[in-house]
Amino acid sequence: MDMSSSETVLACGTCHAALLPGDRYCELCGTRIGTAPDEETRAGGGCTACGAPVEAIDGDRYCSRCGVRQRSPQDRQEIDLVVAAGVSDRGRLRRRNEDALHLQTVGESGVAVIVCDGISSSLSADLAARRAADAAGAVLAEALHGEQAVFAEATRNAVGAAQQAVLEVPWTSRSDRDFPSCTLVSAVCRDGELAIGWVGDSRAYWIAGDDSRKLTVDHSWAQEQVAAGLLSVQEAGADKRAHSITRWLGQDAPDDEPQIVTLRPTEPGRLVLCSDGLWNYTPDAAGIAAQLDALPPGTAAITAAHSLADAALAAGGHDNITVAVLNVTPPGRDDQ
Amino acid sequence: MTTFTAEAYQNEYLPAGGGEVNAVVTVTGSAAVPAPTSTQAAEIIIVDVSGSMGSPRAKLTAATRATAVAIDCIRDGVMFGVIAGNDTARAVYPQEGRLVAASPQTREDAKQAVAELKTTGGTAIGRWLALADELFAATPEAIRHAILLTDGRDEHETPAELEAVLTDCEGSFQCDCRGVGTDWEVQELRRIATTLLGTVDIVAEPAGLEADFQAMIERAMGKATGDVSLRLWTPQGATVAFLKQVAPTIEDLTSRANPVDALTADYPTGAWGDESRDYHLCVHVQPRAVGEEMLAGRVGLMVAGVAVSQALIRALWTDDEQLSTRINREVAHYTGQAELADAIQEGLEARKQGDEHTATFKLGRAVQLAAAAGNSDTMKLLAGVVDVQDQHTGTVRLKPRVQDADEMALDTRSTKTVRVKKPGS
Repeated sequence: MDMSSSETVLACGTCHAALLPGDRYCELCGTRIGTAPDEETRAGGGCTACGAPVEAIDGDRYCSRCGVRQRSPQDRQEIDLVVAAGVSDRGRLRRRNEDALHLQTVGESGVAVIVCDGISSSLSADLAARRAADAAGAVLAEALHGEQAVFAEATRNAVGAAQQAVLEVPWTSRSDRDFPSCTLVSAVCRDGELAIGWVGDSRAYWIAGDDSRKLTVDHSWAQEQVAAGLLSVQEAGADKRAHSITRWLGQDAPDDEPQIVTLRPTEPGRLVLCSDGLWNYTPDAAGIAAQLDALPPGTAAITAAHSLADAALAAGGHDNITVAVLNVTPPGRDDQ
Repeated sequence: MTTFTAEAYQNEYLPAGGGEVNAVVTVTGSAAVPAPTSTQAAEIIIVDVSGSMGSPRAKLTAATRATAVAIDCIRDGVMFGVIAGNDTARAVYPQEGRLVAASPQTREDAKQAVAELKTTGGTAIGRWLALADELFAATPEAIRHAILLTDGRDEHETPAELEAVLTDCEGSFQCDCRGVGTDWEVQELRRIATTLLGTVDIVAEPAGLEADFQAMIERAMGKATGDVSLRLWTPQGATVAFLKQVAPTIEDLTSRANPVDALTADYPTGAWGDESRDYHLCVHVQPRAVGEEMLAGRVGLMVAGVAVSQALIRALWTDDEQLSTRINREVAHYTGQAELADAIQEGLEARKQGDEHTATFKLGRAVQLAAAAGNSDTMKLLAGVVDVQDQHTGTVRLKPRVQDADEMALDTRSTKTVRVKKPGS
């Protein structure tokens, strides 16, 4: 059999696993293959606009010949693991994507999902989010390997590991910037049993028709005002402090104990994890449910994630947008 | 030594198909030591001693007195000299065709020599500058500055002769020019000052010379770093529509570009002390697709051949009109200030040509712009040539009789700008 040269070089850019021609996603890690034509060109290293050699690309990713900024792989990250999928997008206005997404399946039905949002006023916010998400993901995956995992405890350990990872992010002092810091929302799921943990204002929603609801309570100024009965949701949301968060991960974090909820749904549904770049445009569970209900029955998780992210982009995309969708089927309700 | 920072102000968003990028870059130099005594400096004072300086007698008296005050302000160790100019140029002090180090003794001797100056002959400014250039040649390491004082037109040489000398002197030393009385040409002195990176102003009353000379020398002595250039990089396919200094005065630097390579050029800015200057850059780039971003320019400072600070000018294409139609306030402010300077110069020119309609329209527009920008100094000067009826609509009437000095003051100072008020200050 002939071996054409195009087949021999096919490998996943993230985990380097071998790929088959025509693969759209890596079988092993779920990374989308060949997201954009210019990213493939970039693999050659040069400028995607004028073809200048890789040496011409400066530290800020500007081409020193034609000035065009090169897209970063972080600008758009997509992961599809069939049962769960997610999209992280730089949005339309931010210079960098400081959100991070971690998705992993373990064994037959174990899934770990983490969304982190680097705090834009902090140093190395993108790195803080990335490391926190990956560190938490590793702990949750480890727990899923065990037979008798207590998900709430695993979540607490995962957030502890994420906090440690953020502390280790290198930084140099700048008076106008905070220590590296980020928010985190995590989900760990197996056999229809779920634990959600969070610190900050990244959110989790349970979406199942009329039973749709927000599972998390923001650690934010706006939420505190509402909880204290001082302002209505609308009033608090309109205040310029609405997005000031009261808890986060990082060196100056008030504490690193996550808030945790567990659930065991009796009906099939979807778990949606997201950063505020998404929920700014659809804050209510009902709004997200309406968007997902508009999709044909049996729509893949990755398509659902695309749909939600694209809606936020279309609405303005003022912040980084990250959303993960996890299909949850209670045991014995497997219709497939 | 001076430390520099460069900061860019702009609206980086462009509409689909748009390619004009505007930015104001503020460059701030802070001298580490307030009195940079370690910096080598050279100073030459050029005094007009043509026949007209003797009538009235007060002109020469004021000029020699002002020169004496300036000499007193030259700090010890600075190499200095005095040139007397008419249709030729003569080194008055020292007479040996070189500069001397300032000391209590040499300053005293110089003042003595200046006190004995007599007026005779015509005016050939190019020859004065040529002698200064020759004297400065012995101090290539120093920050070189000259003051030129004249009361008349450059009548005793051809414009081509003056142009040739200016070309030789450009980049060699900086020169502030002052016209005394009202018989000199604003355009002529402005041309000299602009080429030699200096200022131009009128000293209508000879009595005002002393304070002005003192201020000029003190400013010159405050310069800690010589030969600073702006280095501008623009991407392939882009054109620099203009690069102007817009504060403290408007100077168009566009034609002064010294190419470094195909994409980079240096623009000389002279010597710097503790000061801040603003530059307005306008670059035309090739439009890119919505969502793409381009580096439209990089403005850096070159001090003695070393890059010290830089600001990035960006272009981001968006289909959000709210973003792309917003005009940055710094850019808007200086666009208005540049229009103000043009309106004044064009208005005065029209008035000279007897075109009252254009003069009224242009000077009215100038009043409107000066009022909007809060440029009260220019407002006062405008009030010398027009009667303001409504500053908001720019309704004015030309004054039937205008003092020459008022008109020349408005002309010379038309390029002085006010800076953007920072919010909360």
